[in-house]
Amino acid sequence: MTLLTPRVDRKVPAAPAPDGDVAPRRRGRLHAHRVISSTLVTALVIMQVYPLVWLFMTSLRTEQDFASSNPFSLPTEFTLDNFSRAFSTGNLGLNIVNSLVVTLGANVLIVVLGMMGAYALEVLGFRLKTFVRSMFLLGIIVPVQIALVPLFIDYANIGLLDTYQSMIIPLAAFSLPMSIYLFSSFYSYISRETYEAASMDGAGPYRVFGQITLPLSVNTIVTVVLVNSIFIWNDFIFANTFVLSDELKTIPLGLQNYIGAMGNVDWTATFAAVCVTITPLMLVFLVLNKAMIYGLESGANKG
Amino acid sequence: MKHHRLNVAAVAAAASLTLTLAACSASGASPDSSSSDDGTITPREISWLLSRPADGGVITAMEQIADEYAADHPGFSLNLITTPDRPSYIQKYETLAAAHQLPELFDTDATPFAKKLAGAGQMVDAEELLTDLGLYDDYLPAALNYQRFDDGSLYMIPFEFQLEFFWYNTALFEQAGIDVPATLDDFPAMCEALRAQGITPIALDGQDLWPLERYMAYYPFRMAGPEYVQALKKGEAKFSDPAGVAAVNWLYDLGQAGCFQPGFSSTGYADAQALFTTGQAAVYNIGTWELSNLATENLDEGVRDDVDYFTLPTIDGAVTADNEYVTPSGIGMAVNAETYDPLVKDFLAYALARYPEVYTESGALSPTTTASAAIPDNATPLYQRAVDQAGDVGDAIAMPWDTQLDPTSNTRLQQELTLLVQGDETPEGFIATMDAVIAENGPEAFAE
Amino acid sequence: MGAPPPPDRPRQSVKEAKMLPGRSKISVLVFLVPPLAVYAFAVLLPIVQSLFLSLFKWDGITDMKFVGLDNYVKMFTRDDVFWTSFGNAMGYLAICLVLQLGGALLVAGLLTTLRRGRELVKTLYLLPAVISTVAIAFLFQRIYSYEPTGLLNQVLEWVGLGSLAQPWLSNVDTVLAAVSVPEGWRFAGLYMLIVYAALLAVPKDLEEAATLDRANWWQIFWRIKFPYIRPVWITTTIMAATYALRGFDIPYLLTNGGPGQASELLTTYMYKTAFTHTDYGYASAISVFIVVECLVAVGLIYFLLRRKVD
Repeated sequence: MTLLTPRVDRKVPAAPAPDGDVAPRRRGRLHAHRVISSTLVTALVIMQVYPLVWLFMTSLRTEQDFASSNPFSLPTEFTLDNFSRAFSTGNLGLNIVNSLVVTLGANVLIVVLGMMGAYALEVLGFRLKTFVRSMFLLGIIVPVQIALVPLFIDYANIGLLDTYQSMIIPLAAFSLPMSIYLFSSFYSYISRETYEAASMDGAGPYRVFGQITLPLSVNTIVTVVLVNSIFIWNDFIFANTFVLSDELKTIPLGLQNYIGAMGNVDWTATFAAVCVTITPLMLVFLVLNKAMIYGLESGANKG
Repeated sequence: MKHHRLNVAAVAAAASLTLTLAACSASGASPDSSSSDDGTITPREISWLLSRPADGGVITAMEQIADEYAADHPGFSLNLITTPDRPSYIQKYETLAAAHQLPELFDTDATPFAKKLAGAGQMVDAEELLTDLGLYDDYLPAALNYQRFDDGSLYMIPFEFQLEFFWYNTALFEQAGIDVPATLDDFPAMCEALRAQGITPIALDGQDLWPLERYMAYYPFRMAGPEYVQALKKGEAKFSDPAGVAAVNWLYDLGQAGCFQPGFSSTGYADAQALFTTGQAAVYNIGTWELSNLATENLDEGVRDDVDYFTLPTIDGAVTADNEYVTPSGIGMAVNAETYDPLVKDFLAYALARYPEVYTESGALSPTTTASAAIPDNATPLYQRAVDQAGDVGDAIAMPWDTQLDPTSNTRLQQELTLLVQGDETPEGFIATMDAVIAENGPEAFAE
Repeated sequence: MGAPPPPDRPRQSVKEAKMLPGRSKISVLVFLVPPLAVYAFAVLLPIVQSLFLSLFKWDGITDMKFVGLDNYVKMFTRDDVFWTSFGNAMGYLAICLVLQLGGALLVAGLLTTLRRGRELVKTLYLLPAVISTVAIAFLFQRIYSYEPTGLLNQVLEWVGLGSLAQPWLSNVDTVLAAVSVPEGWRFAGLYMLIVYAALLAVPKDLEEAATLDRANWWQIFWRIKFPYIRPVWITTTIMAATYALRGFDIPYLLTNGGPGQASELLTTYMYKTAFTHTDYGYASAISVFIVVECLVAVGLIYFLLRRKVD
């Protein structure tokens, strides 16, 4: 089964077969239930999505319109002025590039190191592996804040402060446990016989990794990358702590720049900037949402 | 090396682990620390870490001056790295200082942290520098005094001069049948009269915390002078002293009289200003950096002719004069002693001499006596009056407390102030809490 | 490949026998050392360093001063903000868990009854998860706004609850809930998806049998579905709890802990202590506490939810 084809949902348990053995009265009740739940779901979806719609609408309002009118009203006139102000105030293009670099860099580390670690733990095996595995699992629990002060000091001492690596390393390291966990649980389902047969043919651990494990990992890689990308793309705390120069600011920091001197905010321009910055990931998400949803569903359900 | 960097034993191990990664390390904003003292000027890029509006007068002027200087000194450039949001800026600069990564020039107020930096020999003595460049006497004494530490030493150079006023709407005052408050004690009555007319008395940007902290400074400044906060921050004076008690009660009364708009603590700068400029609020306490929004045709027509200002009212038995109030010369610029070289000095000599003329073209007040603000074409008569007011400023300055207290006490004060004014905290509780917090943190922060 | 196997497949027993024949010590090291090194540098070493640093007083400029356990003594006895923040963090945790897990269960349950549009609902529901917290903070600042009237107060007015309209971020009684809601909102879709997938995996015949026995939906849910999804539920609860305990961005950006300390969490307090107060030693002591708190929370959740099975 390939990852990108939508999974056919199993049949709805509560839905009766059209000509089933359910009494008409009961069917009526079920129908009412379904109407209620459809309405509820619709209401919840509106609550979930409306703020985003409002965000895009606000980015098209004039400043006067934003300041004076009812927040639910439709814009009286549309303007793209906010976007030009957003681009002239900030450095949105650069912010997006930086976010891309960090997200890519961290993902490469997460995937490569995750596969290596899982391979060592799950396939190669060694005496202390239970201990090492629990060390890694600890990282799922440990909050990232613990690393801020020590890493800041370490970076200052070795000159890594204010570099891409200063963001990429901790982002990758804190995602590594989950990645190793996902790869491990996947590797544990590759049959032993496959490996043993390869070993009989004289393949060493490197060839086994390259010829068997790696090609089979593609689906898990997609899952790991998609899930981690959401968090890394939006990381605020590491970037805010370790990045100082404008050239390295990622999107969340770039947005912070719209807070002006003494705390002044040009709201409509800020919302325009927000729209520009959330659009790339939103587009990726809308294109790949099946894969991402699948990854999230299967990822946690493997436990 | 006299400063001990943190030397956790594990750092060595960590460093070796990351060597491979460090090898491909991109060069960040780390300053070029090659400083030659043989007197030759070698043009290079120098950086100024600052906290000023990106398109504001200071940056515009300095960019122009840097371009002029670069024309004569090929290879020179001035890299301006601005973080206008002050709390973010302070965090950035303090962490950079701890990491020994400060660039050639950086902004700071005369805070305890800056004092430590100066004490550690990381900042060039500004008084010596200005005297050396022959510019010292050009500066307004008030502008320099604002930058001084308590011991009178000067390590920061001012780039602005501002007066903070209470802007008010004469039409709304008329509607409520009130006059400009003669003393601070008239504020609660003023607020009640305005409230009775359904008018928001005072627009306050509570989200940014510093505007409310200004109100904390007013009463003690009138009652006990600028020395009170200097003693208070070291734990030598207390909130339970008469000046402190009076100030706390005054603020509590302001809150009880409904002086500020409901939800002020989550109202931002722009929203607070909009309350005043749209005629919904009667009073707005802000500095002359907003002249272009409050005293020009940029101001909404509906209120343009009704806007006026008054300066900080006095109290009965005040020890400071009426013309002494909050007159900041803005965040100051410090010169990093570790990267100070003939180029930095030469550039500063050129830039500081040229600055007043270029800067005042934007209509702003100069920290020097050598140039006067150019009044913009669309100015209202208020603009000229505000500019002239600068010539009549007394010697004592009501220092903003956020530049005075140690950071821990300051954070707590800002938090407790909001609670006090919202009525979530009693004056007694406030005094007890703050005295305990300052006792815990103040003396240590200012220990010599 | 990649289809999720049943969650409770036993693995541990065969594990020890599993070692790739022909592997060498070197090859194990080649694969293990790089991930371990990065992990050790950025996760394990900082934990050790924090422990070490928490015994000192240090402002970043002047010399470090050894103070023994004084930072911890201060934390537990002299610092009321610490305890307020701890209480708030617990409140934040509770609200996030209710919103995320309760909401996840509710929506996932509703979703299984839908015939059409499930994919669309899933996509739309997950959408907020891709938005950065800075953007979310800007957004919710306007939603909660009182003057000018924000979305929330406007809605209240429309449905005749105008008297409830208030400055949500200024009221000390509402602010903690107000900063928790965006966090719940943003990841509601994530947890919903996980629970939904687990619910789908409940064998249909179990449920059909129960339906024939005239069990109502609550009995079906509680007796049949829930026990089946319990392992996933534990994972989800642990995930949601650890994320809520490390929650930082939204309170930090939305209120910076205010008014007063009403929305100060341990994480924001630790951050301020380190990077605003430049009190690195004390901040390290707080972060050590946060780690312990997370470990205890995960242990408790695991213990409580597991015990019910037996």
